[in-house]
Amino acid sequence: MTKKQRKKLPERRLPEMNERRNSVFGGILGDNIVLSGLMVISPVIICGDNVRNAEALIYAFTAITFFSVMIASFVPKSIPYTLKVVIYAIISSLVYIPVRLAAEEYYPEAITRIGIYFPLLAVNSLIVFQTEARFFRMKKLRMMFTLIFCILGFDAVMLLTAVIRELLAYGTINSRMADADTLISGLSQPFGGFIMLGLMCGAYRWIRSAARREKDSSRSVTDVSGK
Amino acid sequence: MYLVNDIIALLAANLILMQALGTSTLFIAAGSRKNLIATALCITVFTTIGSAAAYLIDSSLPVDYDYFKLLIYTLTVSVMYVSMLTALYFTARENFERYRKYIHLSAFNCAVMGTLFTISGKAADDSSYMNIWSYVRGGLEAGAGFVIASLMLTVAYRKLNSSKVPASFRGFPAMLIYLGIISMAVYSLK
Repeated sequence: MTKKQRKKLPERRLPEMNERRNSVFGGILGDNIVLSGLMVISPVIICGDNVRNAEALIYAFTAITFFSVMIASFVPKSIPYTLKVVIYAIISSLVYIPVRLAAEEYYPEAITRIGIYFPLLAVNSLIVFQTEARFFRMKKLRMMFTLIFCILGFDAVMLLTAVIRELLAYGTINSRMADADTLISGLSQPFGGFIMLGLMCGAYRWIRSAARREKDSSRSVTDVSGK
Repeated sequence: MYLVNDIIALLAANLILMQALGTSTLFIAAGSRKNLIATALCITVFTTIGSAAAYLIDSSLPVDYDYFKLLIYTLTVSVMYVSMLTALYFTARENFERYRKYIHLSAFNCAVMGTLFTISGKAADDSSYMNIWSYVRGGLEAGAGFVIASLMLTVAYRKLNSSKVPASFRGFPAMLIYLGIISMAVYSLK
């Protein structure tokens, strides 16, 4: 959301948005990095067409992001922004090396299938650019939990997308036959990924605004009964 | 006819429509003509110079040290990032604040890193691509692909963000679906 749009928002909604952004659990539902922030969407669109790819991506994203952000939190804040960005990118590129070596042990086939999206996870905008605004203003323990829920938010979207796309595109779930009558093979293609993610984003926003309306109405009922 | 073939080839190899690289940057670039020109220019510079550097790295890095490729690419992009900011500061100090955001936006971007890895992978599969011209051409094509995808999105940007679109789908969700439809059309050209 741009500064201009934020200015136009009613004052009542701004604290709510900040509250959602600052909430420890917000990373899963309130401010999901994929569905709300549109970060790290290319692996979801291209590789999220089956559960086995999703597992490998979840492992890679979780390990790289968690360790990179935790290590990066020790970088002094007084360093100029440009240098900090460079340092964050170098840290995540270094973290990528052991993660990749471990992945070759556990997911040797997935590494080939995921291809370039594996190293690209290491330079995702959450690590390189968003860490400053999202995490480093918090205390370490709170930051760690917020980060974990942010990562879980990505993992949940990745898994959900993979299950739906695999079921509808191939008629399987985790390579096991499922009872799907109609197959939409296009969902396994990049365009299927774009459309699927767009629909999921829309559904996520609708659910979020419905939940907010519900919360608002219950608040107003409480206010009235309080009077 | 050659021109049509070239355009189809450029579309079919489009990093955004076919590989979803740099999609979120595209949404920012498509917002206005100024954003589009500045972002596309920065990304093209990064992909082209980065590709030339990637050729030097790929031709000198032993296969056993493949794990270090990301780190070396990151260091290369970092040098370019700092150099471009420094160059902008000294050449157009009065416009530095206005334009530096485009360099920030373009440097560590999936479109840039993805281009370097895609070209490198192509060269690893087919040795005829293992020359500096193929790498630089790949970088330029990626930049051109970004411009084409941005233009396609710019055309529909206002409508996809208008109040006629249901609130839940307004903006990003509608743009993703729109890109999906364009991607489907391009896929059929392959």
